[in-house]
Amino acid sequence: MSELSITQLSKELRSAIEGLETAGDLDEVGVVLRVGDGVAWIHGLRSAGYSEVLQIETDNGITEAFALNLLEDEIGAVLLGEDSNVKAGQTVRLKGTVLTVPVGPELLGRVVDPLGRPLDGGPAIKATAQGLVERNAPGVMDRKSVHEPLMTGIVSIDAMFPIGRGQRELIIGDRQVGKTAIAIDTMINQGKQNTGVINVYVAIGQKRSKIARLVERLKAEGVMAQTIIVATSPSDPASMLYLAPYSATAMGEYFRDNSEHALMIYDDLTKHAVAYRQMSLLLRRPPGREAYPGDVFYLHSRLLERSAKLSDALGGGSLTALPIIETQAGDISAYIPTNVISITDGQIFLETDLFYQGIRPAISAGLSVSRVGGAAQTPAVKSVSSHLKLGLSQFRELASFTQFGSDLDDSTKKQIERGQRLTELLKQHQYQPLSVWQQVVSIVCVTAGYFDAVPVAKIKDVQTAVLTRAWADHKKEMTILDSGAKPTEETSKLIETVATTVAKGFNG
Amino acid sequence: MARKLSRRDLAQYAARQLTDGAPYKKIAMQLAAYLIESRRTNELSVIIRDIAAHLAYMGHVAGTLTSAHELNAETVKAIETFTKQKTGASNVSLDTIIDESVLGGIKLELPGTELDTTITRQLTILKTRYKKA
Repeated sequence: MSELSITQLSKELRSAIEGLETAGDLDEVGVVLRVGDGVAWIHGLRSAGYSEVLQIETDNGITEAFALNLLEDEIGAVLLGEDSNVKAGQTVRLKGTVLTVPVGPELLGRVVDPLGRPLDGGPAIKATAQGLVERNAPGVMDRKSVHEPLMTGIVSIDAMFPIGRGQRELIIGDRQVGKTAIAIDTMINQGKQNTGVINVYVAIGQKRSKIARLVERLKAEGVMAQTIIVATSPSDPASMLYLAPYSATAMGEYFRDNSEHALMIYDDLTKHAVAYRQMSLLLRRPPGREAYPGDVFYLHSRLLERSAKLSDALGGGSLTALPIIETQAGDISAYIPTNVISITDGQIFLETDLFYQGIRPAISAGLSVSRVGGAAQTPAVKSVSSHLKLGLSQFRELASFTQFGSDLDDSTKKQIERGQRLTELLKQHQYQPLSVWQQVVSIVCVTAGYFDAVPVAKIKDVQTAVLTRAWADHKKEMTILDSGAKPTEETSKLIETVATTVAKGFNG
Repeated sequence: MARKLSRRDLAQYAARQLTDGAPYKKIAMQLAAYLIESRRTNELSVIIRDIAAHLAYMGHVAGTLTSAHELNAETVKAIETFTKQKTGASNVSLDTIIDESVLGGIKLELPGTELDTTITRQLTILKTRYKKA
């Protein structure tokens, strides 16, 4: 066949396709029976699937809802917009799809709602890909064990409770003890250390002023460009609070499935459970313990299982999760906290008492744990952290004896003084995450006894001085240490020289 | 106390009675008595829909045909034929309604399904797309 006739054929085909008019067809429809409190009850649509999107034709356009209660005679659908537009008698159609959100790099640097609509006043997001809000977690054979560190920049976490890429580490504590602060510092550290990890922060029922402050802080630290914020406030419908973490996870999964690494922060899942309880009660589902529905465990387990480290065959990407849970009066044995503790791979427990003693971050070394542990720790930090943990645990045992002062033997006094210096070392200002070399040098200085003669109150000052001197005089060695390699003997000697020289000026 | 019958059970019973040739008045009296006794008269409109749906399942389709202007007999016949083809019904009965608010096109409402080619619907879709953009 000559080229000319193929071109002609192609032209004829295109013109024929344009000319064809699709004839209308019968659509399955239902009708709204009643609506209220964000829930519409619909008659008909017998072939509607669970979580399928429904389109309600209102006077102001189409309002979408998703079917959550499939009963014999009616469907309970949760509205994805204001219920003021929806009235009884309005027609409802099946959209034919489940809920999806826009995903992709176009969302980086943006603040969006759970449906992917921008909230930051910027231009419309023109994403080319859509991700499923509800999606199955990767299977067993699709995963690889967690072995790469996710550095938070917070010494006590990276040294004692290291987090790996693909891990789920819960941050749990009472209100106003610094849970979000840990999450923010972790996000900032990804920018400062150029790790390439994408941050996805989900604000579930958080005050808009708090979200605005967070955005400003991330912009000031230069991290916003690698961050997506999915925001819902307490005035948003419960359906939006319910969807927020799932939508955000879909956005994070895009990067995971494309061989990149993403960090999910769910702030906080307690409010998520409360929103789900509200929805379930309005859908007339039977209430269980504390009026939560029977599947409240599944609510969080299916969310957190999507965070994983993928196998090399699937690209080796990862999705790390830092869910946050707020406790009441430090009760970690309550319903929702115990649920999430059993799902996650460890927890960082923040205590109010420590916070008010001035120990910030107020991390309880006794109750916190990372089930992944050393497998996801850089060799450099791992080599020095055992001494840190030992010193602190000995101090905890002897803490009640500090009141006896001079009545103690020398060995006990030494352990107490070492423990006090370690506790002081682990205090860290907000928005100042430390790099690997800074953490290693700091820990070695105290555990090796170089700061034993420095008063406890001056530990932070001498730490700053040592780090400044070490970077100024031995930048090459510190850069090698920052790569994560275990410190060599020469490097250890170098640290000793710098530390002892600087500490002389601070000795009491 | 009598067992609560679901709307589906009621609809199936009524539809079967109708297709077996039972008089309308008899079925109406039975249903009315049950609904009043069980205090479910507010479900009447929904039960009627369910009966229509079940009749359609059994091959008897009743619907409404809405247009802005009166349709000629040929057009109505063509739509009835289309309905028979699409639903597989042996018996189709359409009530025609003239409603100028639809502006143009037709709206064919059948039990559980609908074909809406009215201008009003197109405008609703346009309005939604404009809002999203």
